[in-house]
Amino acid sequence: MSKLNNISDLNAIRKRLRSRRDSISTVITICGGTGCQASRSQDVIDAVRKELKKQKLGRKVLVRVTGCHGFCEQGPIMVLEPGNIFYCHLKPEDASDIVTKTLLKGEVIERLLYTDPVTSQKIQIETEIPFYRAQDRQLLAQNRQLDPCSIEDYLAIGGYSALAKTLAELTPEAIIEKIKASGLRGRGGGGYPTARKWTECRDTPGDEKYVICNADEGDPGAYMDRSVLEGNPHLILEGMMIGAWAVGAQQGYVYVRNEYPLAVKHVRIAVQQAREFGLLGEHILDSNFSFDVEIARGGGAFVCGESTALMVSLEGKVGEPRPKDVHTVKDGLWHKPTTLNNVETWANVPSIILNGASWFAARGTKDSKGTKIFALTGRIKNTGLVEVAMGTSLRNIVFDIGGGATDGVGIKAVQTGGPSGGCLPIDKFDLPVDFEALYEAGSMIGSGGIVVMDEKTCMVDVAKYFLTFLQDESCGKCVPCRLGIDRMLEIITDITEGRGRPEQIDLLKELAETVAHTSLCGLGKTAPNPVLSTLRYFPEEYEAHINEKRCPAGVCQALIKYEIDDEKCKGCGICLDACPHDAIKGEKKEIHTIDQDTCQKCGICIEECKLDAISVA
Amino acid sequence: MKQYVTITIDGVHIRAAKGTSVLDAAIEYGICIPHLCHVPGLSDIGSCRLCIVEHVVNGKSKITTSCTLNVEEGMVILSNTEWVKKLRRNNAELLVAQAPNSRAIQDIAVRCGVKEVRYPFRNHDCVLCGRCVRVCTEMWGARAIGFVGRGNGRHVDFPLGVRPDFCKHCGSCITLCPMTITPCDGPMKIGEEYLCGKCESQLSMAEGISDTCVWCELGKGFQCARYT
Repeated sequence: MSKLNNISDLNAIRKRLRSRRDSISTVITICGGTGCQASRSQDVIDAVRKELKKQKLGRKVLVRVTGCHGFCEQGPIMVLEPGNIFYCHLKPEDASDIVTKTLLKGEVIERLLYTDPVTSQKIQIETEIPFYRAQDRQLLAQNRQLDPCSIEDYLAIGGYSALAKTLAELTPEAIIEKIKASGLRGRGGGGYPTARKWTECRDTPGDEKYVICNADEGDPGAYMDRSVLEGNPHLILEGMMIGAWAVGAQQGYVYVRNEYPLAVKHVRIAVQQAREFGLLGEHILDSNFSFDVEIARGGGAFVCGESTALMVSLEGKVGEPRPKDVHTVKDGLWHKPTTLNNVETWANVPSIILNGASWFAARGTKDSKGTKIFALTGRIKNTGLVEVAMGTSLRNIVFDIGGGATDGVGIKAVQTGGPSGGCLPIDKFDLPVDFEALYEAGSMIGSGGIVVMDEKTCMVDVAKYFLTFLQDESCGKCVPCRLGIDRMLEIITDITEGRGRPEQIDLLKELAETVAHTSLCGLGKTAPNPVLSTLRYFPEEYEAHINEKRCPAGVCQALIKYEIDDEKCKGCGICLDACPHDAIKGEKKEIHTIDQDTCQKCGICIEECKLDAISVA
Repeated sequence: MKQYVTITIDGVHIRAAKGTSVLDAAIEYGICIPHLCHVPGLSDIGSCRLCIVEHVVNGKSKITTSCTLNVEEGMVILSNTEWVKKLRRNNAELLVAQAPNSRAIQDIAVRCGVKEVRYPFRNHDCVLCGRCVRVCTEMWGARAIGFVGRGNGRHVDFPLGVRPDFCKHCGSCITLCPMTITPCDGPMKIGEEYLCGKCESQLSMAEGISDTCVWCELGKGFQCARYT
């Protein structure tokens, strides 16, 4: 492909690519994101291609392998155009049916359709699936339209037109003004106004400035950034280019987790393609703007997602945060002014430039604008990546999109914002997802993880889980984070193991305050949130653990006991055979008993018992 | 030519050279802010979090370490409010619970007002203040020791655990180590640790005497920046 020398070159090639795209009407879109790859989508892709070749349809039908669609639990996913037919849970064996029946005869294959877990009805059209219907997919919808390894696909759907507009018409000040008017705020967790960051960086004197894309996503269960980066890498590059033009940077870095091999691969290909097309390099599109991007792989530390630690790590040193008394926009990478934004923040930039600030600001609440992607997981019917307008209530997300609780157990709480966030009880479900609203309630949007918990979840155990994670991931540099989290974990462990004392609650609160206010970086400052929010909304669970030595949810192993109900037990012996610790005794057809000293409380017997005779006390 | 700015610490106007830290400016004017990881002449990393102060901006207070905060014209600092004292005391308590076997740490605990330790003692021999690492790296350029690991596993060690030839046994690391001075009553055995606090009674007596700064008397014990 020849280099694009100016904007008319870009428009010409876009026109050509678009007409080529429009000439093929039959498209099989198969998700090739990490989630679907894990459920063998590559085998499905190969099988479909083979089948098409066999039927001599190779030239008439386009197989487009895209990034993540968001509905990972249904993977591998396929969408057929025309008709918007949605097939899920595909196997390589299904390929011949899909080609011969659906493509050639237009028949819909019933068994491959999605079954709504709420109504148990089969749904044929993708857009009618409640999981998708209740969302507002501005960023994620693009994933479905393009092959992440193809710059041609991105150009055909209008990619890099925001860059062309920027270079041709907009001054850096005008761009920052647009971003400011849109109300875009950082999507990585802090919610810092993007325009303010850019202005400060632009206003700091210096010839050498940097822009960084933070793709070191580490929250357990969250994968928004991965999906956007691996599904649409050129969007991020375009956002970074516009940002670099606005702040006056010539060099950009994408700091991406090494644990995201597909994202690393796709963004590398994207950078290579952009260089070949002349969209990265000297004098981009005949302007005086020169910019290049390098990929840096993170070495596997959660704390490197913190901006200063990330920059230290980029410099080649051990990734530890440094004091932020001077902001990174003034003293960042190699002590030069640096603008660091999250993947999702960069992803929002091109559409703001193209569609205007008011288009973006039309969605959202007073201070939180646009859409936000969440990773919805936990004990609900539909899990996956969801994108909703800011201001959507938690209830909408959990019940309309998520479909409500699985197996009839009541939903108790949601945990938002990952390890830095907090747990909100069900009576707070009417809260809108909004930076301030969630912060005031003791949680945060964070990077966007939402874990739904039901009555079988012990909130003290949840706090313990996150503290264990944070203690493990703390860099250990400052006292409150290293020792404070450790001591909080020590106290919580005492509580879950039946050694808790009532006065420890006050100590926990005081310690939480100390850690939150005196820690060096964001990891420590937000680390007490899981403890504080569970203490605030579920004090009765802590009291039950401490005063009654009882775990209401039946989770904390030291406080629970498995018992066999004499009336229900028929002495079938299934549990006896299943117990790996030989803790169950009893003759055939006689009531069995559990030896409490040998019992390891693994819970296998409960799952095996067909008569519901075993319970947790 | 040096440029000067005026800042306010605890209501006192102080003239300080641009580029100095709030902690250095305060110490120069005899305002004692407890500190451990700060050593004059070495870079400040803000790891012990004892020198925390309230930095008031537009009427809002923010806790930050004074060693990493550079003076700026018109800056308002509160170094000794109840809030700061409480947070500082909690950090000192965490430190002394971790390493009671050091007179320096015990003195810091007394100085920060720790009256009791609410956690089980752990008799560790390093508080990871990083004084040794920085003196080796910055003063001598030897880089013979450094931090290894993260979180609970963080410790000071030689590269790959073997003493390299470029360690010249200069002993600077030992001189600066707060763990080298044992408590007055001698080393504490494992399981028998306690918060010493013996000098506290003497301190409260000296508090009323003019010309005697009890904090400084304690500061000598743990190499307060005023005495190095």
